[in-house]
Amino acid sequence: MTPEKVKEVGKICIPGMRLSLLNKEYISGPGTYELKGYIYATLAGVLKMEEDDKTKATIISVESPRTPSVLPKTGDVVTAKVTVVNSRLVQCIILCVGPSVLVRPYKGILKKEDIKSTDKDRIDPYKCFRPGDVILARVLPMTEIHWYHLSTAENELGVVIATAAGSPQGVSMVPISWSEMQCPKTLVKEPRKVARVIPENINQELFPVHNNPEEKEKETK
Amino acid sequence: MAGPLLSSTEKIFILHGVQNDYRSDGRSNIDYRPMELETDVVSHASGSARLRLANTDILVGVKTEIDVPKPDNPGKGKIEFFVDCSANATPEFEGRGGEQLANSISNMMQRAYHTSQAFNLKQLCIFEGKQCWKLYVDILILECGGNLCDAVSLAVKAALFNTRLPFVKAALMDGGNVDLQLSDDPYDSKQLDIGCAPLLVTLCKIGDKCVVDPSAEEESCSVISLVVGVTGNPKFYCTEDTTNILNVECKCSTIGMNGPGSVAPKTLKDAINQGIIAAKCLDEALGKALLRERQETIVMKKHSYGFLK
Amino acid sequence: MPLDFRRFNGPEDSVSYTRFTQDFLKSYDELHNELINKSNLRKDGRALDEARSMFARTDMISQAKGSAYVELKKTKVVCSVFDPREIPHQNEFSQLGQIFCEVKFAPFSCSRQRRPAAPDAEDKSLSVALRQALEPAVCRHLFPNYQIDVFVYIIEHDGACLAAAINAAGLALADAAVPMYDIITASSIAIIGDKMFVDPTEEEEHVAMISPDSENVNHGIITMSMLSELKQVSDFIQIGSMDTDCVIKAMDILEKECAKLIPNIQQVLVMNVVQNIEQQKKLEEEAKEREAALNAKLEEWKTLLNAG
Repeated sequence: MTPEKVKEVGKICIPGMRLSLLNKEYISGPGTYELKGYIYATLAGVLKMEEDDKTKATIISVESPRTPSVLPKTGDVVTAKVTVVNSRLVQCIILCVGPSVLVRPYKGILKKEDIKSTDKDRIDPYKCFRPGDVILARVLPMTEIHWYHLSTAENELGVVIATAAGSPQGVSMVPISWSEMQCPKTLVKEPRKVARVIPENINQELFPVHNNPEEKEKETK
Repeated sequence: MAGPLLSSTEKIFILHGVQNDYRSDGRSNIDYRPMELETDVVSHASGSARLRLANTDILVGVKTEIDVPKPDNPGKGKIEFFVDCSANATPEFEGRGGEQLANSISNMMQRAYHTSQAFNLKQLCIFEGKQCWKLYVDILILECGGNLCDAVSLAVKAALFNTRLPFVKAALMDGGNVDLQLSDDPYDSKQLDIGCAPLLVTLCKIGDKCVVDPSAEEESCSVISLVVGVTGNPKFYCTEDTTNILNVECKCSTIGMNGPGSVAPKTLKDAINQGIIAAKCLDEALGKALLRERQETIVMKKHSYGFLK
Repeated sequence: MPLDFRRFNGPEDSVSYTRFTQDFLKSYDELHNELINKSNLRKDGRALDEARSMFARTDMISQAKGSAYVELKKTKVVCSVFDPREIPHQNEFSQLGQIFCEVKFAPFSCSRQRRPAAPDAEDKSLSVALRQALEPAVCRHLFPNYQIDVFVYIIEHDGACLAAAINAAGLALADAAVPMYDIITASSIAIIGDKMFVDPTEEEEHVAMISPDSENVNHGIITMSMLSELKQVSDFIQIGSMDTDCVIKAMDILEKECAKLIPNIQQVLVMNVVQNIEQQKKLEEEAKEREAALNAKLEEWKTLLNAG
């Protein structure tokens, strides 16, 4: 392999490499750790420097070409598939953490009171989830071995993909309200705890509030 | 093992104490806690010892059997160590719970006794290439109060000191087979030469310094400990005139590390030196205690404490 | 040891035929003198303080998350690392994840005897030593209550197998993208009398482990593993009998030897990253091509349908 090829890829880091000083301007991101005022790499991969919008600090992270061997952490948003629903809790298997797909599935548990943020005492898990649903959930602090506690008590969390009972496979329901989804084929309505998913490739112009400042300047001109 | 819960200020207090060579129980960094040792406590073993170091209670029994020597070491006997972590010590040892700990201790002992400068296996030879003694050293952990390695090595040395091998009267070659004749008299026996047998010293790293014989609180402040096996000095185990015995320098017979942390090279070097000093003191004390006990048994029928004390 | 009846065990008391050869009957002094020739070189032509050149590569086993192969002349070691999994039979909450190590010798790996299929005491003690060496290097707080499996297979053993195993495991962990504080290197040394054999062969290790009769000389083997950037010793294993000065002198040599290995390992890791990224690019390009082809077909059919 030629050195040019190495240069093409970008700045390559290996574990234990000292990346920069740790101060207000530089924050350690994923794939790095802090020690005695410096930021070091923990993964073999490519160095990435991003500027945080709020604090104007540079986040230093290392991106590995492989999916890092990480587990769901407290506070992460995970994608999970529901396996068991009963009157007290919902069991599921965690498939992805943020953008990375897990190689092994890990067990998650969603307690009745963590399903919604409102009306907590009148939640019925059967009216929120069914086995087979794909949900988005947030990881709560770990209290049990081998079980991750999850929560869907946010507007953006809940069922994303679900198939109505009796509908053909692969036809997923469309949300029609916060608590209902409908099958486009059979028109069956089923209760669910629906997640408000904001697609990544959403048309920016529909949401002027979210526009970045540069475009705003252009508009005013 | 789950240690006591300490707050960070308590940990800092212990750390500062260690830094100033004055620990929270008044010891210096190379002092041991008081121990009780008694030999010849098990009637069915060839040699035995019971050691109590603070809350750690160890019982060692040595059984001797006759075996065929290994083809690559025809003139040497065999010694094997078995550690049994009884569930009496802590419920965690129940079933296979203590297996890992037991393995690591017996491994450490086996390694420490490997070199002939620590324990000469030639003294276990009966008939070169045909018959030898095999010593089974069974170590029972009755109570687990930390610092197991040190306590085990002390108890093993005491038990070996106490071990008597019967004299072999005749070894007849009977068509290639060896026919041994042993004396019926249990007092017609020889003692083992264990002057050089190694002692293990565990050094617990707290801050930049190391301490020997850590208490449970100190153990919970430390992430790494170093085990140094140091050969003994035969001078301390002899009743006769000691002038004609060579003064053997203490040597490292094994070094190993335990725990999830790591140490800087300099700390490691200091720790090895510290371990050797501690082992020297310990060896001398053990020798004195063993000789005194032997003297007492000979002069008057010593009252045996057993487990009553 | 309990016998494994599922395997063919062979006669229990079989011995290697080498026991009846001339070599076996050599005395300690003969063996000792053979190790070094007159020009102070070892049997394989190395100087005393010269280590064997290490060949290392990653990505040996496609099924594993990460894997590595390390070769020190005749010592050959394969290591594979798998993703975190539940710790079996665990009933206590642990903040830190665990590393499960298993070192195994191939039955034909050693020159002296055939290795039993079931793990024996040496396998177990190597596994413990490997875990001890790796634990400080891995960010274990990132996978509480789970364990990472590290399997090492020693295909051929010609000395310094623990050092090779640690080097291989370090590479395999980095290849598996397990977060690590530092890269880990290990080296070993055999001491016979006043001579120190860096990176010993099996023969040298064997002589170092025999204690010479009556003489009170130093002998033994030391293996040390280090975290290079943090300058920390993660494992130190000594066996034999030697005085403190000797141990400390050997430690300084090993520290240097560990440092010498770093450029090699760094290069392997960098190449690994480059290769992985290139592979990813290639896959992406192929995917794009396929998508473009499919789109073209779709358009074709659309036009056909519209025409029809």
